[in-house]
Amino acid sequence: THGMGAMTMTNQAPPGHPQMQGRMAMNQLYPTDILNTPLNVSELDLPPPPIILPPNSSVTPSPDANCPSKYVRSTLNCVPTTYNLLKKSRLPFALVIQPYSSLHDHEDPVPVVPDQVIARCRRCRSYINPFATFLDQGHRWRCNMCNLTNEVPQAFDWDAAAQKQQDRWSRPELNHSVVEFVAPQEYMVRPPQPLVYLFLFDVSYAAVTNGLLATAARCILESLDRIPNADRRTRLGFLAVDSSLHYFSIPQDGSENTEASMMVVSDLDEPFLPTPQDLLVTLTECRQNIEAFLAKLQDMFGATQNGGSCMGAALRAGHKLISPVGGKLTVLSASLPNVGVGKLDMREDKKLLGTTKESSLLQTQSSFYKSFAVECSKNQVSIDMFLFSSSYQDVASLSNLPRYTGGQTYFYPGWNAARGEDAIKFAREFSDYLSAEIGLEAVLRVRATTGLRMSTFYGNFFNRSSDLCAFPAFPRDQGYVVEVAIDETLTKGIVCLQSAVLHTTCNGERRIRVMTLALPTTQNMADVYASADQAAVATTFSHKAVERALGSGLEAARDALQTKLVELLQTYRKELAGGNMGAAGLQFPANLRCLPVLFLGLRKNIALRQSAQIPSDMRSAALCQLSTLPLPLLIQYVYPRLYSLHDVVPPDDDERNPQNLGLVDEETGETVMPQALNLSSQSLLPYGLYLIDDGQTQFLWVGREAVDPLIRDVFDVPDRNHLKVGKMTLPVVDTDINERVRAIVEKSRDHRSKGVGSIVVPHLYLVREDGEPGMRLWAQSMFVEDRADQGLSLQQWLGTMREKVRLDLVTYDTKDRFS
Amino acid sequence: MAPWDTDAVRTVDTRARLWICPFCLSRNQLPQHYKDITQDNIPPELHPSSTTIEYKLSRPAPAPPIFVYVVDTCQEEDSLNALKVSLVTSLSLLPPNALVGLITFGTMAQVHELGYTECAKSYVFRGSKDYPAKQVQEMLGLSPSAGMRPNMPSQPGRPPTMGPAARFLLPVQQCEFQLTNALEQLQKDPWPVANDKRSIRCTGVALSVAIGLLETSFQNAGGRIMLFAGGPATEGPGQVVGPELREPIRSHHDIDRDNIKYYKKALKFYDNLAKRTAHNGHIVDIFAGCLDQVGLLEMKGLPNSTGGHMILTDSFTSSQFKQSFVRVFDKDGEDNLLMGFNASLEVLATKELKVTGLIGHAISLNKKSPLVGDTECGIGNTCSWKMCGIDPTASYGIYFEIANQGGPAQHQQGPQKGMIQFLTYYQHSSGQFHLRVTTAARNLSGPAGDPAIAQSFDQEAAAVLMSRIAVFKAEVDDGPDVLRWVDRMLIRLCARFAEYRKDDPSSFRLEKNFTLYPQFMFHLRRSHFLQVFNSSPDETAFYRHVLNHEYVGDSLVMIQPTLDSYTFDQEGSVPVLLDSASIQPTHILLLDTFFQILIFHGETMAQWRKAGYQEQEDYANFKTLLEQPKEDARDLVQDRFPLPRFIICDAGGSQARFLLSKLNPSTTHTTNAYGGAPSAQTIFTDDVSLQSFMDHLMKLAIYSTL
Ligand SMILES: [Zn+2]
Ligand SMILES: [Zn+2]
Repeated sequence: THGMGAMTMTNQAPPGHPQMQGRMAMNQLYPTDILNTPLNVSELDLPPPPIILPPNSSVTPSPDANCPSKYVRSTLNCVPTTYNLLKKSRLPFALVIQPYSSLHDHEDPVPVVPDQVIARCRRCRSYINPFATFLDQGHRWRCNMCNLTNEVPQAFDWDAAAQKQQDRWSRPELNHSVVEFVAPQEYMVRPPQPLVYLFLFDVSYAAVTNGLLATAARCILESLDRIPNADRRTRLGFLAVDSSLHYFSIPQDGSENTEASMMVVSDLDEPFLPTPQDLLVTLTECRQNIEAFLAKLQDMFGATQNGGSCMGAALRAGHKLISPVGGKLTVLSASLPNVGVGKLDMREDKKLLGTTKESSLLQTQSSFYKSFAVECSKNQVSIDMFLFSSSYQDVASLSNLPRYTGGQTYFYPGWNAARGEDAIKFAREFSDYLSAEIGLEAVLRVRATTGLRMSTFYGNFFNRSSDLCAFPAFPRDQGYVVEVAIDETLTKGIVCLQSAVLHTTCNGERRIRVMTLALPTTQNMADVYASADQAAVATTFSHKAVERALGSGLEAARDALQTKLVELLQTYRKELAGGNMGAAGLQFPANLRCLPVLFLGLRKNIALRQSAQIPSDMRSAALCQLSTLPLPLLIQYVYPRLYSLHDVVPPDDDERNPQNLGLVDEETGETVMPQALNLSSQSLLPYGLYLIDDGQTQFLWVGREAVDPLIRDVFDVPDRNHLKVGKMTLPVVDTDINERVRAIVEKSRDHRSKGVGSIVVPHLYLVREDGEPGMRLWAQSMFVEDRADQGLSLQQWLGTMREKVRLDLVTYDTKDRFS
Repeated sequence: MAPWDTDAVRTVDTRARLWICPFCLSRNQLPQHYKDITQDNIPPELHPSSTTIEYKLSRPAPAPPIFVYVVDTCQEEDSLNALKVSLVTSLSLLPPNALVGLITFGTMAQVHELGYTECAKSYVFRGSKDYPAKQVQEMLGLSPSAGMRPNMPSQPGRPPTMGPAARFLLPVQQCEFQLTNALEQLQKDPWPVANDKRSIRCTGVALSVAIGLLETSFQNAGGRIMLFAGGPATEGPGQVVGPELREPIRSHHDIDRDNIKYYKKALKFYDNLAKRTAHNGHIVDIFAGCLDQVGLLEMKGLPNSTGGHMILTDSFTSSQFKQSFVRVFDKDGEDNLLMGFNASLEVLATKELKVTGLIGHAISLNKKSPLVGDTECGIGNTCSWKMCGIDPTASYGIYFEIANQGGPAQHQQGPQKGMIQFLTYYQHSSGQFHLRVTTAARNLSGPAGDPAIAQSFDQEAAAVLMSRIAVFKAEVDDGPDVLRWVDRMLIRLCARFAEYRKDDPSSFRLEKNFTLYPQFMFHLRRSHFLQVFNSSPDETAFYRHVLNHEYVGDSLVMIQPTLDSYTFDQEGSVPVLLDSASIQPTHILLLDTFFQILIFHGETMAQWRKAGYQEQEDYANFKTLLEQPKEDARDLVQDRFPLPRFIICDAGGSQARFLLSKLNPSTTHTTNAYGGAPSAQTIFTDDVSLQSFMDHLMKLAIYSTL
């Protein structure tokens, strides 16, 4: 047979050692003057500095051998070999991990290793990957993390399906850095759980009258086909909540009784189930009766006068109901929990906003929410909060539930179904939410080359042990940050960081998604700076700023961002620019030149901005965004997109402008977007029409001199005085510009092209420059580069930075001189 | 104004338009509407034959009668189904405006919101928890609580408050569909029960919730809470036995030895509930359908103090249950239910008499008056009692004593009369209050004693009244003490009223109207009312409950069952002595203990029947003979409530023990001690026979120093 013996090892060379090979070509440092060269917005979309590995680092020549940046990004694409060098650089070393880039597998398939032959290192438990090496004629392999030599599994080269030898080099895990292993029995503590959704409906007066109950019920009803149910095991349950708990027992289709029955429990002290059966039912078996129930739900509570919400007790009851299996608690609430356990007070006080006391409003009010969330995590219960209150709802406290359970907080302030835009936004988002193929009973672990250690984890999960993050459900629309510590000097030319998500798919399959990132090492600070990923750095500091805000307050978070930026600028100046600042400028590497504006954007984000006008619920919701958004959405949230729309249709004689803005490009099949403009009011022409989009909210900005034909063609009204300010839907008008504008607005919402999974459908607001000031001010708050009450303009900010860098350097020099 | 009685006729001065109250002797003006009264034209209440008058009052009932069904769902399917059918049927027996409610229970208790039409809806209470009344009301949303929106503007077309009447208790004509649906969809309690366990059943919580439900908005509106128990409470407050099957439910012996975990706690719990229910004016009926005990002993306070029914049957599939249940809803000629609610009974009497108490299904209203005696018999220290439920057969024993002070009134002529008037107010099921007035007058004896007293002795009434006292005592005292008390009272009576020569027992004679009395007492001593060890505690509670409800005739049957004998060459039945000697091989016996109707075939009769002679044409007379007692039995049960248990047995059969236990053991294994196997009619008992009882009685009466 020609198996192992016949295998040749010639197509790979041992990975090089830097000392042996001499210095490789690394990313070059390109200094720029960030003060005097205006920011080009398109730089935000540039890919991270390339990862330049020594030749033949991977065991196969596959182009997919290293991890694509859409899954894992490192703040440093060239890793300092020592702790000291890292410390000296002042740059963070962290991974931004986004294991999924879409809500559904088919939109972003990854190679699957189906044969349940999983080669793992005996010592460090790493999964075999393209950076492992084979020894001993292929009988053994060396772990690229800890260097241990391991036996190659017996069946590694055996195709069990075809019952014949297979080519080892075709194995996906040796060709792809991102693969999914189908896990054998030993990866399960119990048989794979079915997908479970328990919906907790607020049925109090607020939720019934604002249409939440009706809309949510109808949306679930219409989305039943979208809920993942390939294995026909998906189970649903429903719990209605006011000052009492309302359970519903839904009979199986075809049984004598077809009507759901309601059981009300008002005893909230200890959760108990009113019946052992039919509270959590199999979608496939009860489909008709579930539909009938959902169709009736609104009527069941249509006459309510109840203003209570015992949501805390409801959560405990829900936990009791699903914890034997695990699954999702999906909370749809328009009320502040005001009855029983987890009762919250209306603590917001307008006088506190903008003061140092404001930060306390961002902290959790009741210890119940964290301790209960941890309890849920243990029992594989994940919680998502859909919040709709028109008054204070204490997002700060409630968001603890998703935070520790791998869930998400979705916030719809002032939502009312009577407004078509509100109803449609929620219905689309909720439907996508229901369709998402979440993972269950998941854990994330990151392993790395000896010498590296995962030190801090950021994101929505429970950190169960030093390096293990637990996710009762693994969402598809979130990103995570893991900080890496350098404990020992790195001696090899490359280091590897392997993130693995063990999970149960919603089809009942146990799988491990493994993402292996290899990075070169360096002893040279310039390499570190030249390879730093500004977006990843900003993302890391977004998480750290949130942590700081919750722990020490908003001001501390803002200060920390400023201090960090000064540090970086100063370090660069001292270590890499020879102490030069450039005549009147401020030097920074080209690959990091967006960092100051991103930090400024963070400081001006609604989550962190100095202001006395921001309700704490809005802040808390924004803090949730800053700590969960996948990188591309986060960057847009921090530095929104601004597109000019009035000029998308070029005049016939204009040849300089692109002709196809807002049209589908024949080559790519994608709508062609205009060039994004700087977020500065200087970008705005008084007669213009603009789209401002931070990924969560879109504004159509109508200049104060926008001409009637433009207004007519886009909005189908005679002039801009006929335009109603506020939430709107673009009308369909049979004009070229209307079609293009609509396409651009739609394309701007396209998550797929951004490489992220998200359910968010941004609201579109119409803003008139000469219209209602509140709305205008809100839209203007997106203009990161502008000066706005207590916020500096970009130019001022950079000027301040320059000043600080200069002053600090003097101090530094003085100190240096005396030492 | 006080109503007046027949004896008052003489005291009415038709010319002066005055009448003299015979009780207090005060003069009263005749009311305006009696202005045409003459000696020949008297109103009905003054007619000598009208010892009882019922007045319809204009006061309306606060609400239509209320019926709350409290249904145990821990039952086998057939039993539950039978119960469902009975309950659904009963809806058509209720007045259309009657309010109905449904509570079901098993591991948990569920209050069904019948006023809710979107789907089946119920409020669930944890079975293990003792919910205070206030909490029950809050949890049902019957009292303002944290959850309700304050200052809600009432919505047009909707009642401003959704009171309990609109949600849980609805007119049957309005919610019949909903309730029928709810009943038909009742399932066996869904919680799993291990093989070695009893069902988890929270009877206590269910009752407490039912009581709390009525308590909120229907205080003193007539209503019945009807409990249908398929087994004992095994959970929560009122638990009477643990869920482990190997742990048997308590017996009289256990209670005697005071070694049961739950008894006292449960008793206290139900007694408290009973107190509340009675205070609220509601009735609790208990229908038990279970071969084992359900905890009647612990729960007995509920029907006892509210005038509720207690029906003990083996199963809800039994006709005993089905027919008894339907009888609860019997109606009068005007289609009104034969039941009254919220009654109170007050006693008035002339000053020679003092009332010492009442024994029956009532509670004290704590009304003090000079009429109240110093001693207490039964529920005393009051002249007024409350009966939440009364019905046409309900009877109450009321006890009096002669006042010490004062001789006969000087101004009166003729024989001195003691007069008693019973005023019974109640909510008639027609929706109005009624007042029933019964007046009795009896001659008083002179201070020196009067032979007329002995002549007026009603031994049957006396026996029944003494039985009630004995049973009342038995509830608190030790069995032997009660027996000694019964003996002592009998001896005292005989010593006082028998004729005998000194020191000569053989000369002992009793007057005709005393002769049966010792026999009644003999049988009372042997009855399951006082000899409890052959019954379960539940049975004892049941028997005693019924004794305290029935009138004299039926009570006597309970105390001393009737026995009739059938044989060839005899027209119909012949009453025979309740004596083992009545058992004859060629006779059929029909025993009526009130609770059981038993047909017993003598040895030969049984053999013939087993051989099938009755099927042969030649033996038509045998067939007729077999049928006769059955027909008579059917007649007996015609008006009987609760329906008795029907037993057919043969000499030597195991069921025959029911007969043997009632017979006077004139031939016991001790009398038959000279070798040979005991014959069929030999009764294994250490009880004395009636003869030796009488012998002892005579001696003790004669030598008594009492
Ligand atoms: Zn290893
Ligand atoms: Zn008087």
